[in-house]
Amino acid sequence: MKESRKKLTRREFLRSAAVFTTAMVATACTTPTPQIITQREEVPIEVTRVVEVAGTPVVQVEQVVVTATAEPAPPKEKAPDVLGTFPRSETFIARILTGRVGSPDNFNWWVGWKWSDRGLQNVATEALWTVDFATGEIINGLADGDAKYNADFTECTIPLRKGVAWSDGEPFSAADVVYTVETLMAYTEFGAHNYFVNNVASVTAVDDYTVKFVLNQPNSRFHTTFLDRWGCTRIMPKHIFEKEADPVQFTFNPFVGVGPYKLHSFDPQGAWTAWERREDWDKSPTGILYGMPKPKYVIYQFFADEGAQILAQLTHQLDAAELSADGLKALLAQSKTSRAYQPTFPFVVNNDPCITGINFNTARSPFDLLDVRWALLLAIDIVEYTSIAVDSSGTLSPVHVPHLGPYPRDYIRPMQDWLKSFTIDVDGEPFAPYDPEAPKRVAAYAKSRGYVFPDTPEFIEQAFGLGWYKYAPDVAEKLLLKNGFSRNADGKWLLPDGKPWKISFLCETTLSGMGARNAAAAVQQWKKFGIDAEIFPSEARADLIAVGDFDVSGDWPAQEPWGAGPDLYRVLDRWNSAYLRPVGERTQGHSCRWTSEKMDNIIKQLRETDPFDTEKVIAIGIEGLKEAVTNMPGIPTYGYIGFVGWDEYFWTNYPGSENPYTQPYTHWPNFKYMTPFLEPTGR
Amino acid sequence: MTFVKRYLIPRLIQYVLVIWLGITVVFLIPRITPNDPVMRMIDQMQARGSTLEPGTMDAIIRDLTQMYGLEGSWLDQYWAFWGRLFRGDLGVSFFQFPTRVNKLIFTAMPWTLGLLLTTTAITWTLGNIIGGLAGYYSRKGWSRILDAVAMVVRPLPYYIFAFMLLLIFAYVVRWFPITGGASLGAIPTFTWAFIKDVLWHSALPAISLIVLGGAVTFQTMKLLVQNINAENFVQYAKLGGVKENRIVGKYVIRNALLPQITGLALGLGQIFSGALITEIVYGYPGLGMLLYRAIVNGDYNLIMGITIFSIFGITTAILIVDLTYPLFDPRVRYT
Repeated sequence: MKESRKKLTRREFLRSAAVFTTAMVATACTTPTPQIITQREEVPIEVTRVVEVAGTPVVQVEQVVVTATAEPAPPKEKAPDVLGTFPRSETFIARILTGRVGSPDNFNWWVGWKWSDRGLQNVATEALWTVDFATGEIINGLADGDAKYNADFTECTIPLRKGVAWSDGEPFSAADVVYTVETLMAYTEFGAHNYFVNNVASVTAVDDYTVKFVLNQPNSRFHTTFLDRWGCTRIMPKHIFEKEADPVQFTFNPFVGVGPYKLHSFDPQGAWTAWERREDWDKSPTGILYGMPKPKYVIYQFFADEGAQILAQLTHQLDAAELSADGLKALLAQSKTSRAYQPTFPFVVNNDPCITGINFNTARSPFDLLDVRWALLLAIDIVEYTSIAVDSSGTLSPVHVPHLGPYPRDYIRPMQDWLKSFTIDVDGEPFAPYDPEAPKRVAAYAKSRGYVFPDTPEFIEQAFGLGWYKYAPDVAEKLLLKNGFSRNADGKWLLPDGKPWKISFLCETTLSGMGARNAAAAVQQWKKFGIDAEIFPSEARADLIAVGDFDVSGDWPAQEPWGAGPDLYRVLDRWNSAYLRPVGERTQGHSCRWTSEKMDNIIKQLRETDPFDTEKVIAIGIEGLKEAVTNMPGIPTYGYIGFVGWDEYFWTNYPGSENPYTQPYTHWPNFKYMTPFLEPTGR
Repeated sequence: MTFVKRYLIPRLIQYVLVIWLGITVVFLIPRITPNDPVMRMIDQMQARGSTLEPGTMDAIIRDLTQMYGLEGSWLDQYWAFWGRLFRGDLGVSFFQFPTRVNKLIFTAMPWTLGLLLTTTAITWTLGNIIGGLAGYYSRKGWSRILDAVAMVVRPLPYYIFAFMLLLIFAYVVRWFPITGGASLGAIPTFTWAFIKDVLWHSALPAISLIVLGGAVTFQTMKLLVQNINAENFVQYAKLGGVKENRIVGKYVIRNALLPQITGLALGLGQIFSGALITEIVYGYPGLGMLLYRAIVNGDYNLIMGITIFSIFGITTAILIVDLTYPLFDPRVRYT
């Protein structure tokens, strides 16, 4: 018998589909019914009673069973137990800052660029020394103490740590250091080749754990080539490289290092590199200094897009994210388990060892005039400026080093009296531009916008700094008029030759970058003052800066300091007149092209000073900063800020502002020093 | 012989000339821009904390210039470049020195080809079939609904659409992974497990490309068919009692396909440039990101290497279409 079946007409199908879709949408949009816990359970408890036994009060503990309402269980979040092939609870996942690894099977990082932040510098190897900008200390890694120089700085002796082994079990010794330097000197293709050829006459192993360099000329900072500040000269394992005929073409795969982790696997497309904790982790400097790293695996993964990073952390597939300001806000708003570096406003990482700001091209008119540079500074209202640039979250610094690590203690605080008494000449009258109240003004403004944070002086200093400069457009006007500038009928500034004054502010094309943020704020402030300023983002920024083809830029107004230790040689030496080149040629000094005889003398003094003579180094450094402030070749504004999002679902005890036991970034070499302190949550 | 003399040989000469001109332009453009690969590498070294003294800096510039083969005049470099190219050697990547450009390209290319060949084929086939039918039956309800959907989807910026898919399917319902071409820890092997993993990771990138690309092909084809449908020869065929299937297949869609075939050839040729935004949104491996980084870092050899493939791809695709066009359009004859 043929079964009769009713055919669904097109209209009926569409109608049914519409009803079904509407029902689904309505269900999804309804407010979820609150979960009422009705389950009751028997719970054993201890009851303490005072009873009388033969007329004497006695404390008695009794076990009883009561019926209680069960505590509501927290809703379970979705998090995979295994991610790919890795047990998630034993794995820490971080992001490769510098992008997808282009040549993932090549670990020979002494030649070309090899994505050292894919875990090579962060967990797999250790330098002789590493700067820690959070604590302001220099950590002895493979070195067992400071370098020691002879009286004229032509010899440098470095003690090495005993008990360290490479990840393949071979012991580390002075022979590795000697082999590294000699190999780097033998092949021009190595990045550090020229530095060692220029500096080193000979290198010898005095014994298994002491290396001695004889230098071609006095160099009191020679050892800093081994000081890791997101890169330095690394040591090669001699027992591996000496077997290779061509150490330049050698891919060094699998990588062997002295860090607490060894290579586990990597993606041939460069999307991730996985590292496994060494069984002999106690033979790495990290293990010797701080104990066993907690994560068994560390994976560095590439995320091309900030959105993907946020989604990955929301689904617990990324423990440490590095985001933009808006990205961090979005993450914190959505995630129940994510935290920022600071638990309250301003949330951001404010101890990165860079001072951002405004960089003048002092080789180009009118920025060659000191009065013009000061006028442009005094035309800035720092409260509005930081609000525009970084939503008031930057830590101000009035000098050319950031307010972090040892610098407030060694420089910014001791310089307060000088800064307060420092004056500039305005029409024959002295004017004191420094304003120690500026951070409080920024804090008050942030508070007026509804941000909540502690009101203590300690917090204000840590978050907003110790001082900056006054907003004095009237003084700025006098300085410009004195130099032949004038205003037209519309109040716009004209150059001394009567042409309109236009300032082109060069910055990077990534508008969330600190250069672009400073550019936006400065341009707004100068427009308000009557200057026709504009932002000029360019992919060719680095080249234009190098040849002096710019007015003003968002590059750092001073070379970044080491971030640890008191020595400012790295900062001041960039203003050395020996490095200056004519406009059109690539300068080898700071791109502002400012120099002074006084600064040259300060640099010379510093070169002739033992870098470990703290008192003397600070005294000379202060003189250097005074000379920089007096000449203001670039305006320091606020320290670089980073936006870190940490997921506390699998790991806790991150080095946040309340407990900054090490620097907070996973791409920095010091991340390995964080691993012993991370605590698994047991999930 | 007339075809060979009057068409094939001049067309092949034109093909070679276009390739030569394209490669020459690609050789010149990076050198004209102010993006200097030597300075990019020095910037990178400084960012990595290398100590660069004035004397050191001069020596590094000299050594890098020599290593990258940038010594001598542009003409010297140009001759050296063609010499290498004829040997099949695209040189070394400046930024990823001493890795060879061939290796970098051939590592990324399978991913790009795998994704874009598949999606282009699906997009073209589905878009044309559905678009053709929707154009012919344009008064039907389902055709109007499809047209409305295409109208909504097509103007969406690709980035927004791709991220929306990621948000819904990777975060909200969690059917697909958030990023990558394969899972963490997965090592490429010719096993079903790995192939399945790759397909799972490729699903969202593919869907995003097919839906948006398909909407464009659908609308183009629909309009073409609607226009052809109104032509006299179609109307005569209908009045003459020719079967509808024959009218749709032989009279309408076949004619409408001609410009679509040219579009397909161009689309296939452009595959070698990669799909940059797809690679960014989904963290998918491929040539797009490789080319982007090469441009940013002034890696001349890598830029030229990838672009040469693209030039060959597009010119060869056009050549093939030109030569095979008589097969699709009987009106075209080269004799």
